Amino acid sequence: MFKLLRILISNKNFLFFIFLEIVSFVLIIKSHDYAQTKTHDWQTAVAGFFDRQIYAINSHFYLKKYNDSLLKQNAQLIQALLQKKYNDKTPVLPGQFKVKPAYVLTNQYTFDHNTLIINKGRKDSIIPEMGVVTNNGVVGVIQKTSGHFSRVISVLNKSSKINVALKNTNYSGFLAWTGEDPNYFEVIDMPVNANLKRGDTLVTGGMSNYFPRGLLVGKIIDFKTVPGRKSYVIQMKTFADMTNLGPVYVLKNNYKAELDSLKLKQ
Amino acid sequence: MRLNLKDIFLLFIFFLLQVIWFNHVQILHVFTPIVFIYPLLRLPLQKNEIFNLMWAFVYGVTLDIVNNTGGVFAATAVMVTYLRKMYFLFLKNRSFDLENFKIERFTGLQRYVYYFSFIFFSQILIYLLDSWHFSLLWHKIGLILVNTILSLVFFILFDIIFYRTSKA
Repeated sequence: MFKLLRILISNKNFLFFIFLEIVSFVLIIKSHDYAQTKTHDWQTAVAGFFDRQIYAINSHFYLKKYNDSLLKQNAQLIQALLQKKYNDKTPVLPGQFKVKPAYVLTNQYTFDHNTLIINKGRKDSIIPEMGVVTNNGVVGVIQKTSGHFSRVISVLNKSSKINVALKNTNYSGFLAWTGEDPNYFEVIDMPVNANLKRGDTLVTGGMSNYFPRGLLVGKIIDFKTVPGRKSYVIQMKTFADMTNLGPVYVLKNNYKAELDSLKLKQ
Repeated sequence: MRLNLKDIFLLFIFFLLQVIWFNHVQILHVFTPIVFIYPLLRLPLQKNEIFNLMWAFVYGVTLDIVNNTGGVFAATAVMVTYLRKMYFLFLKNRSFDLENFKIERFTGLQRYVYYFSFIFFSQILIYLLDSWHFSLLWHKIGLILVNTILSLVFFILFDIIFYRTSKA
């Protein structure tokens, strides 16, 4: 017994090191699987607190830039509203999507599994599985919320797959990030029947219930067929600069539960 | 021997630097310097490493909470802190006086090799722990190498800023 105790004491540095590594690995494993979505709100709240302080400092330097961006967005919204009166072809039910503005407090783009924190949470009626967009394209999907903040799974996340379609057609595929340049993506599973050209625009496909059909995503840089499969792999550049996000919009699909229940019944 | 105020101050400063600035910097749209291990590499060597390991863990976990990275930074910080002692013992011999050794006693080249080894190692570790794609490591090795060199340049700058007046 004393011998065992002596061994333990003489190797205390190593044992303590192993213990801390095990704790770290448990944290990593928890963050990499479904359990992450169940972790407590405090983690989001703490991250949100830090991010809010950082944002408070940074926002002074970017006020003019954000203001310019908001003015541009307002102009686009007014233009879209006017056009909608005359040209309403989008298959969206009246009042299906409710839009809430928010600001990005932290934007990760250097890891393989990136997330964002925005300054709206449960108290602003934000709940998980809402889509997040900018005026230039798709940003991600709400993963979890605390009172005043929400965490968004960025499209710059290797586990994220978003349905996209070739503009003005019904050909669709999935947007996947390769983990390299934050503004370049791959679109997989696009049928070879689609008549693609470099420079063509890709928009949201509207099949996921997170985003309405027709939101801008990016343009085709290059494409090739997959040997043995009847589909294209497309290299795409996003319209939105994913490394420079400020104001964003959270989309609430008022019919999502109804649509999801039908999918479950299939 | 516990940490002095300067070591704690450095940990705090580098936590802020990594979170506020370096996490958002992308040199040539690809390279992100990893500077958070700098204060860990400058911690005083101790026979009893428990305090150093504990500080490294707390430091890493705080970075993980802010970055939403699980325990990636914590595992890396603890690993670097522990292996650092092994590195010195490997370089010198067993009679090496750990407690009184200061990094300043290294010549310039020795210090850069020391920094380079640990930056390179920690970047590989962070990549593996974050992505869990072991087979893709070779595709990233060039990027990690350039990133290591960029980080090393920052480390040399930090040496000048924080330790210029220190004597060995």
